[in-house]
Amino acid sequence: MTVRALQQISTGRNGVGTFILQCKKMDFHYCDWAGSSKGMNGFIKSLLPKFAASNAQVEFAVSPRPSKHPVIIAQYINGREKSICVRNMEPYEILKKAEILRDGSGEKNRRTAKPVQSINESVRGVWSPYHGNGLKV
Amino acid sequence: MKRLRIDRWTGQLLLARSGPSPASTPRAAALRSAAVPRCTAVRSQSTIAVPQIPKEDDDHHYDGTDHTRFPPLEQLPPRATSLPSPPPERALQSAKLAALHARLSLPERLPLQTLARTLVDASADENPQFSNTNLAFVGQSLINYHVAEWIMCRYPRLPMSIMYAAMKGYAGPTSLHQVARSWGVEHAAVPGGEVDPGLLQFSMHKPGDAVIGFGYRRAEADGLKKHKWRHGMSSRVVFDDDFGEVVDTEDAKDELRLRADAEYGNEYTRSLAEKAYATCARAVTGAIYAHAGRERAKAFVEAHVLSRTLDLSKLFVFKKPTRELSLLCAREDFEPPVARLLSETGRLSRTPVYVVGIFSGKDKLGEAAGSSLEYARTGAAMNALKSWYLYSPGEGVRVPSDMLAEDAAPWEPAYIDMGEIIGH
Repeated sequence: MTVRALQQISTGRNGVGTFILQCKKMDFHYCDWAGSSKGMNGFIKSLLPKFAASNAQVEFAVSPRPSKHPVIIAQYINGREKSICVRNMEPYEILKKAEILRDGSGEKNRRTAKPVQSINESVRGVWSPYHGNGLKV
Repeated sequence: MKRLRIDRWTGQLLLARSGPSPASTPRAAALRSAAVPRCTAVRSQSTIAVPQIPKEDDDHHYDGTDHTRFPPLEQLPPRATSLPSPPPERALQSAKLAALHARLSLPERLPLQTLARTLVDASADENPQFSNTNLAFVGQSLINYHVAEWIMCRYPRLPMSIMYAAMKGYAGPTSLHQVARSWGVEHAAVPGGEVDPGLLQFSMHKPGDAVIGFGYRRAEADGLKKHKWRHGMSSRVVFDDDFGEVVDTEDAKDELRLRADAEYGNEYTRSLAEKAYATCARAVTGAIYAHAGRERAKAFVEAHVLSRTLDLSKLFVFKKPTRELSLLCAREDFEPPVARLLSETGRLSRTPVYVVGIFSGKDKLGEAAGSSLEYARTGAAMNALKSWYLYSPGEGVRVPSDMLAEDAAPWEPAYIDMGEIIGH
């Protein structure tokens, strides 16, 4: 007769209560010899120290990848990773690509048709045909 | 699957560590020692000088590395590989740890060494001075206290069983496991002194004997589990842990534990991982309390635990809601509840819909729609009971710990209900 309980687990929503940046690691790969890495080498020398200092939440790793195009690989909290090949780009173009990767959620790109997505219940409730005055046909 | 070609591996993988052996297994050691002579001709991307390689090799093969530009990889302190967990001084060199510290916006006063300690489970390091057991005990007490006072003040009429379920939904191990995962905490495959201190370390093979939380071990615990003996709510309040669950005995898991060594993963290893992640989340809370104080710890619990969403109305299971509702009305001196049909459609069709409301005098207590009269009436009684039990004084209700602030306004007594409906 007494009330029994069903167990459920609370669900978190990033940004409610606290926000956690979803990008957790960024790898910068470059080649010393190849011309396509020229911009990347400049980026690593001039822009990366400041970028890394202003994004302490992200773990940065710089490593050579000889005879390959330069690439930025970002790892996300949801376990996925995204990579952008930055061959023949200027340092500031590469900075923009790095910012894209840093700001991403790690989810696959998908089209959002609705401006707001929420797991909260609708304030107005679901429309019911059995309430109100009804429609005269 | 692609075959591994060890003779093509670069020196970084095979020769990186000149100090103690990074691989403690004899197989890995044999693999490495076998591979060393072959790698002398391979272009090495590592910058650490390896004693086995003759110096003249560098003259014959330009290895392309500038030793001033690429400083050596981290030098492990001596004896590091023989330790059960990374030495605390290595915490300052871990990029993962610094990133985690910044990601959680932890206070400056919380040093990286303490954060590293919160990531060492008692199953990895038995020494309580290096594992997170003590911090987790503090964190567990804090989290459970704040969650309990918040639920009690916000929903003062919750029955005890629902209260326990809500506690577990917010602060239980499964929930805290997800919290720690959402922080981006990764775990090491096997704990050890050479592991990056920014990785969560726990053993998949032994549970560790850390006691995290209150509760008594019942003498009849085995019988409760095996024969499903009845244990009432009162004894659960007295004996059991903060979630009203019997304090577990590890004996029942022997079989699963044996299988854990052979299988890749099973229920037992999953529960160990879940426990380790939850303990880590608690330990971080405890560490914040230890270094930054009560207010920061409370804000941390509110931000990471209480801000999560849990629909309490989905936790209820009623057995005889109509009878319970009439008992409630008798107890509260309401008029006896009466079910009335508000509207209906398609009574003779395949899909009829009845909307039934339950009234006490002129007040409507609850309403539900259903495909039969009985179903709709029961649903309406459940809704009426839920709206009674889920009464809330409001979102901004004050909790006792608000009074601990120095400039707190005088306390106004919180609403305390007389209790749930007890019938026969």
